[in-house]
Amino acid sequence: MHNKYSVINTPVHNVDGIAKVTGRATYTFDVQLPGMLYGKILRSPHPHAKILNIDATEALKLPGVKAVVSGKDTLGIKQGIWRRYKELCDEQVLPMDKVRYIGEPVAAVAAVTEEIAEQALDLIEVEYEVLDAVYEPFDAIKKGAPEVHEGIERNLNVTRHIEWGDVDEAFDDADYIREDWFKCGGQHHMCMETRACVSSYTPEKRLTVYASTQAPYYTQGLLAGVLGMREGDIRVIAPYVGGGFGGKFELDGAMFCSAVLSMKLFRPVKIVFTREEDLIASKRRTPMFYYVRTGVKKDGTFCARESRVFTNGGAYTGMGATALYLTGFFHSFPYKWRGYRYDGYRVYTNTMPSTSMRGFGAPQAMFCSEQQIDWIAADLGLDPIEVRRKNGHTPGYEVPGQAFIGSCGLDQSLDKIEEWIKSRGKLPANRAIGISAAGFMSGGIFNWFDTPYSFSSAVVTINEDGTVELHVGCQDIGQGSNTTMAIICAETLGVKVEDVKVHSGDTDHCPADLGAWGSRQTLMAGNATKMAAAEAKRQLLEFATAKMGPNIVYDLDIKDRWVHLVSRPEKGLDYTQVVKEALRGKEGQRIMGRGFYTPHRKGMISPAYSYMVQAVEAEIDEETGKIGVVNCVTAHDCGQPINPIGLIGQLEGAASMAVGYGYLEYMPFEDGKMMNPNLVDYKVIRAPEMPECEVIEIDTFEPEGPYGAKEAGEGLTNPTAAALGNAIFHATGLQMKECPILPEAVLNAFKEKREKEQEKKNA
Amino acid sequence: MIHDFTYFRPGTAKEALSLLAEHKDDCKVICGGQSLLIVMRQGLVATDNLIDIKRLEELNYIKFDSTEGLRIGATTTHRTIEKSPLVKEKYGVLVSMENRLASIQVRNWGTIGGNLAHGDAAGDPAPVLMALNASVKVGSAQKERVIPIDDFYVDLFETALEQDEIVLEVQVPVPAPKTATCYSKFNLLSSDQGIISVGASVTLDGNACKAVRIALGNAAATVMRAKKAEEILIGKTLSDALLEEAGQAAHDECEPVADIHASEEYRRHLVKVFTKRMVKQAWEQASKA
Repeated sequence: MHNKYSVINTPVHNVDGIAKVTGRATYTFDVQLPGMLYGKILRSPHPHAKILNIDATEALKLPGVKAVVSGKDTLGIKQGIWRRYKELCDEQVLPMDKVRYIGEPVAAVAAVTEEIAEQALDLIEVEYEVLDAVYEPFDAIKKGAPEVHEGIERNLNVTRHIEWGDVDEAFDDADYIREDWFKCGGQHHMCMETRACVSSYTPEKRLTVYASTQAPYYTQGLLAGVLGMREGDIRVIAPYVGGGFGGKFELDGAMFCSAVLSMKLFRPVKIVFTREEDLIASKRRTPMFYYVRTGVKKDGTFCARESRVFTNGGAYTGMGATALYLTGFFHSFPYKWRGYRYDGYRVYTNTMPSTSMRGFGAPQAMFCSEQQIDWIAADLGLDPIEVRRKNGHTPGYEVPGQAFIGSCGLDQSLDKIEEWIKSRGKLPANRAIGISAAGFMSGGIFNWFDTPYSFSSAVVTINEDGTVELHVGCQDIGQGSNTTMAIICAETLGVKVEDVKVHSGDTDHCPADLGAWGSRQTLMAGNATKMAAAEAKRQLLEFATAKMGPNIVYDLDIKDRWVHLVSRPEKGLDYTQVVKEALRGKEGQRIMGRGFYTPHRKGMISPAYSYMVQAVEAEIDEETGKIGVVNCVTAHDCGQPINPIGLIGQLEGAASMAVGYGYLEYMPFEDGKMMNPNLVDYKVIRAPEMPECEVIEIDTFEPEGPYGAKEAGEGLTNPTAAALGNAIFHATGLQMKECPILPEAVLNAFKEKREKEQEKKNA
Repeated sequence: MIHDFTYFRPGTAKEALSLLAEHKDDCKVICGGQSLLIVMRQGLVATDNLIDIKRLEELNYIKFDSTEGLRIGATTTHRTIEKSPLVKEKYGVLVSMENRLASIQVRNWGTIGGNLAHGDAAGDPAPVLMALNASVKVGSAQKERVIPIDDFYVDLFETALEQDEIVLEVQVPVPAPKTATCYSKFNLLSSDQGIISVGASVTLDGNACKAVRIALGNAAATVMRAKKAEEILIGKTLSDALLEEAGQAAHDECEPVADIHASEEYRRHLVKVFTKRMVKQAWEQASKA
């Protein structure tokens, strides 16, 4: 690809890389403040119980214990991130009168050491009245099931309906209709840094919070809500965050309990979740039961699809309402349906709440959709790539009533993957390649948080020596957004990446931004940064034009710290000199540009969509059911890549997470208790199991994105489990309808298949 | 959180054993701690006294003698065994086992003595050593004794070690001529312990099986011999039907329990598959020996 840019699409190492690898980076886990106390949380051993009494007398007698708090020490405000919709704000982080899942916080202790705080937990006496509990959506939705939340009929938390076209008529036109049921499991975010927070409340009635969060502004707003404070009196600092993956933009127990304790004691309180706490009492990818009915023409043209989803919502809404919508929307992706109907039901149960996780409902949607498409192709004797090509999105397409597609490289992606598959030649008998297409949003057009601030904002300030202060509200959680913003700023302003200092993760000093979720920052914060840098540059060029005095029809630009005439690049001025002189000309006022982004007229979901086709090559041991993933190759349209090495990091990270979702990671519960709350029994892909992850970039330009860029990281988790399922199908003929695809299930499926074949022979 | 304890680091084995004699009622011995620290962190093991024998250099050795066989000192790390040219030449199966024992970091610090004393039925070295007919030399302040590894494991996480004893050495005899030993485990992550594992040692006399030892890991409360499977093989020549019969015997005689990683029936099935595979592999290697 010809690179017309100076910085964009050149390999840039993370701007915070050296601080991280040398151990200088200060995570919340590392924060130590004078007089700091340590907090621990007492958690419910019951999946469902009334709290009758909490007696902390003995705990408070333990030397070193400074305070014990429970629901009655709080305002009892039910909170949630869907602030616009009161009925979806259903979680008291320290519940007043009942617990709804094992691991839910009941009380919190602050003590001079972590050890004492932990000992104190054993001394708190809680009297419970144990209630009947319910764990699975199909049980919870029955009449007469235990009520997780009083007065919520059939435990129905949220329903979502999406429909376009005349679905029934389109089905009537179909030559072939297939229906299947699928089950997709939960998955834990498994951040390297567990939930952690240090809260410090001072007599000035201000609260400073160091938090491991994906969205400092959300943390600020949510804390203000539950603590009865003004947002501006709370400062949230998140200098470095050890991963989020969709699990860290809600209010968590560490944030809330440390704040409540600190407000009681006027001392800083630190709470860090153990790995077990993180596993049993955070939130998880939403488990889903999927019914999919699809009608097609004999030649593979898609007519209609009708799907129903029942999700295990767990005890609270979390981000589950959004996941319920997005799974239904992306279940139609990336194809054109004449008629499409989706009904989603999110059901409360007495288990750990489910929420968003990388892909936001789409990996589940693709697991069901993309496998069924391959099965339909096989049923009709059609080529699965050809079927996808025939029905795929194209640039300029409108998903009726839902979305406008700008750039779309699906077709080219299919071509490239087809070439790659051909290049593999004939594979051994137990090995095959499966594919899946997918797409994803570049930030959501959702403002259920109901903030008057713009979705993203940025401020660029130029110092007298030409160095640049870039203040952004977007949050770097390891994905490299600070680097992305530095690149966009440097490109726009015409300086080098090392000239730009990025300031983020501090609500006192950075402009508000909705944070790092839904693949929104590259496009939204990127546009805000570009706008801010362009404004600062405009001020510099105004001065330079006056100084150089060219005919006013000439354009000036800055590249690599050289201010010059576009038509005669050799004619120009040194950037630093221009900055110094421009400052004098403005009576010393800083050169400063402000930028923001708020989407308008872009449909209901997102301003832009990434596209991809992924091929997974897997081998299956027929005697044991074991699956090995050999290759995971992606043809990927993310618009203009901003940083190629950052992109590879995102791609490989997504592959490890998504391959894990496909055949390894699962969360078994027994009577509401998670059975593998540790990293010995909860399996996460390790280096030897990582497949080769080649990426083929598809060259597109997204008009809505900064420099043509779209999302590149979250969406990459969408196709993998489906492509793995298809690889298994093509290698063995087995149709695996449950994710993760575990070896014992594969073996049982083999057995079933052999028995069926035997029956056929006998008949 | 780990319960507080008094930490002892004796300089000699003698000193270690006298400390152990003194504190034996409330004491754990640590020798690398790659297993122990996990259960201590989980609060499953709490002790007031911890005796660290990891740095006892006198127990850090690998020796070979053509009559006595292999001697590995208890504090020898997995990585040392893995990288030993001597072990590679004489007992290649130990190297291939060590290659897949957890991660390099764990192998760099964990020791053979610590591993065996931990008594985990899912541990990697024990089934291989059982197939190799190894013994464990143990000692207290009073005396030393040698326990055949067949008798070393008593129950779940329980060994024949008395409270005042530590593992001193692993002894592996010289294999008979025309003998080969193979080991493999079933897992989803290659550095994990086995959901089950099988070690098999086959000695041939012409084309017939003269002697065989099959050891099953994580297929019962302790590592166990699959003696019925062995009986089926003795005196026979290799065939698919024979392997099937032996595998089925191992399937029937093992005593696995279900957990979240595998049902009892799946474990039995895997024992059968891996018994067949390991016996076949060892048999074929022995015939070339």
